Amino acid sequence: MKQKFVALVLGCAMVASVATAATAETVKMLETGSSLLYPLMNLWVADYTKDNPGVQITTQSTGSGTGISEAISGVAQIGASDAYMSDSQLKAAPSPMLNIPTAISAQQVNYNLPGLNDVHLKLSGPVLAGIYSGSIRYWDDKSIVALNKAYASKLPHKGIIPIHRSDGSGDTFIFTQYLTFSTPSWKNGPAYGTSISWPAVPTAVGANGNPGMVQACKAAPYSIAYIGVSFLNETDKAGLGYAMLENRAGNFVLPTAENVSAAAAALVSKTPADERISLIFAPGAKSYPIINYEYAIVREQQPNAETAAALKKFLSWGISSDGGNAMKYLDKVHFKPLPESVVKLSIKQIDKIH
Amino acid sequence: MTTQTQVDRATSPPTAGAASRHRPGDVALQWGTGAMAAVTAALVFLIAIFLAVYAFPAIRFNGLDFLTTLTWNMGNQYGGGPVARNGIAGMPGASFGVVVFLYGTLMSSFVAMLVATPVALLAAVAMVFRVPASLKTPVNTLVELMAGVPSVVFGLWGIVVLVPWIGNALGPWLSAHLGWVPFLGGSIGTGNGLLASGVVLAIMILPIMAATMRDVMSAVPSSIYEASIALGGTSWQAVTQAVLPAARAGIFGAAMLALGRALGETMAVLMVSGAAMNQLPQNIYQPINTMAAVIVSQLDSALTDSTLLAVRSLAEIALVLFAITLVVNVGARLILRLAGNLERSA
Repeated sequence: MKQKFVALVLGCAMVASVATAATAETVKMLETGSSLLYPLMNLWVADYTKDNPGVQITTQSTGSGTGISEAISGVAQIGASDAYMSDSQLKAAPSPMLNIPTAISAQQVNYNLPGLNDVHLKLSGPVLAGIYSGSIRYWDDKSIVALNKAYASKLPHKGIIPIHRSDGSGDTFIFTQYLTFSTPSWKNGPAYGTSISWPAVPTAVGANGNPGMVQACKAAPYSIAYIGVSFLNETDKAGLGYAMLENRAGNFVLPTAENVSAAAAALVSKTPADERISLIFAPGAKSYPIINYEYAIVREQQPNAETAAALKKFLSWGISSDGGNAMKYLDKVHFKPLPESVVKLSIKQIDKIH
Repeated sequence: MTTQTQVDRATSPPTAGAASRHRPGDVALQWGTGAMAAVTAALVFLIAIFLAVYAFPAIRFNGLDFLTTLTWNMGNQYGGGPVARNGIAGMPGASFGVVVFLYGTLMSSFVAMLVATPVALLAAVAMVFRVPASLKTPVNTLVELMAGVPSVVFGLWGIVVLVPWIGNALGPWLSAHLGWVPFLGGSIGTGNGLLASGVVLAIMILPIMAATMRDVMSAVPSSIYEASIALGGTSWQAVTQAVLPAARAGIFGAAMLALGRALGETMAVLMVSGAAMNQLPQNIYQPINTMAAVIVSQLDSALTDSTLLAVRSLAEIALVLFAITLVVNVGARLILRLAGNLERSA
């Protein structure tokens, strides 16, 4: 009896020591938040953890709102967000936070118009504001026809189904910033944020996450949705069309690499040291109006030195042009790399992590 | 002749003196079980107190507007600092109202009861009076198993099967043929909405309603049914004119119990409701939002409110929901107990 007991105790001790030995080596990190950044994060983590076996990074697509709040509370080490934190959020946070851009992304406006999905309709900020506030109800409304005279006969007299994000979303943030900057009535009304009070439109539908938006748009003919550019391949596969958006110069542009770069070039030099800046509605003839920095929201102070070191190493790899900002990753999600000046600012912020 | 005290002494447990009544094991058991019972009962009060305390700042901020306003607005997070109203800080433009969610909860439960009650009643009648004795156990077990299926399963079925069917088939058909009936005409949308939520809820509450109604009807003395048959009635007449009236209170109690379940159902409704905000549905196909579902879907957004007023307003919604379900559940159990007492004294 006594021998069995001693054997049992020794066995437990061995298992425990092996377990603790294993956890002492691997640092576990949680990345949660933006569904726009999620595809890129998955590509990064897959390759990074292959070369860095001592780190285990779990990725989740939960929406930028959750990314911000879980980074603030410390539940997640990296809060992915298309939206930078607001002044009041920074002030209310229990410990200092960093908003670190990791790449430049964009957003397209998709629609499901039977017969017109292979056409790029021209839409402007005021028209989109009208659709999402209910003042423009049908696809053959005169303001839509005025922008798309070539398709005047093909635009149907069907009710528009505006689809918005029901979770706290960075895509909502950048889309509503575009509406705010381009349309005074929207600026004085719902304004912008990761969660806004959407105007009452009888057929409006809420969807969860970018995948949810793709699904909802595909399932509902005559619907319109704002979806992140990392899902452009999915929306093409689903047969959804996407619009040419009116920029600040009055031109209608597509989210091509050239137009996104043009917008970035116009505003990137204005990036402040804390890197919280909107890149929406940039000036320039070719600038695409909805582009943004993809932020990693992190606490300056990490629970221990190992986590801080692992976090700094991963983020530094992410923003370097040989690492995460290499085109082999960014091309798959239609993102653009961070310009040199911004990489320098991001490195300065990453250095603050301890 | 034996006296009462002699009978008492003969039938009461033997007492071996004062020592046995204070044995430590007995005392410990008495106090231990008493404490556990008290904790279980106290939990209800403790939760109510927690909700009331946590939601109090929001109650002060929102005032009575909470019960009348349609909008749910966390305020402009990026538009400057917090502003104060009634002494509580909130973001500029913040305005919280429960009307949309209260309406959604009550309407989806109403639709669920409309769909489920006749089915449950007839299922219970079948289980008690028509199912042959050899099949009674498997059938009863199946019904009870159905009550154990998690709500997310039904929610998933709702997303994949029910919502597209309502949006593409049932909705257009009803709108075309019965559009003159109030609430049945008008635009269909995607199929996510009141009807989908009501149907999913109906499937969720059906087993518990059918099982409770079956129990209530089994408790009716068989003499009532047999007497009706003996007087020449068909089995349908015996059931509808003799058994059901006798079990009326119990059937009503079972329906109330199921209603209590439907009011609090979260996940399944969240997946098919369409997550409406700031508006009420104009027909049964349009999106709604319920109190339980909005707490889940809005919590992460509410946490980005730097004043956390939004989270406390969600707690205020939870308080309203808690009060409603408490009233319905307590009422249901009282009615069922009353029905049981009436049966026993008859």
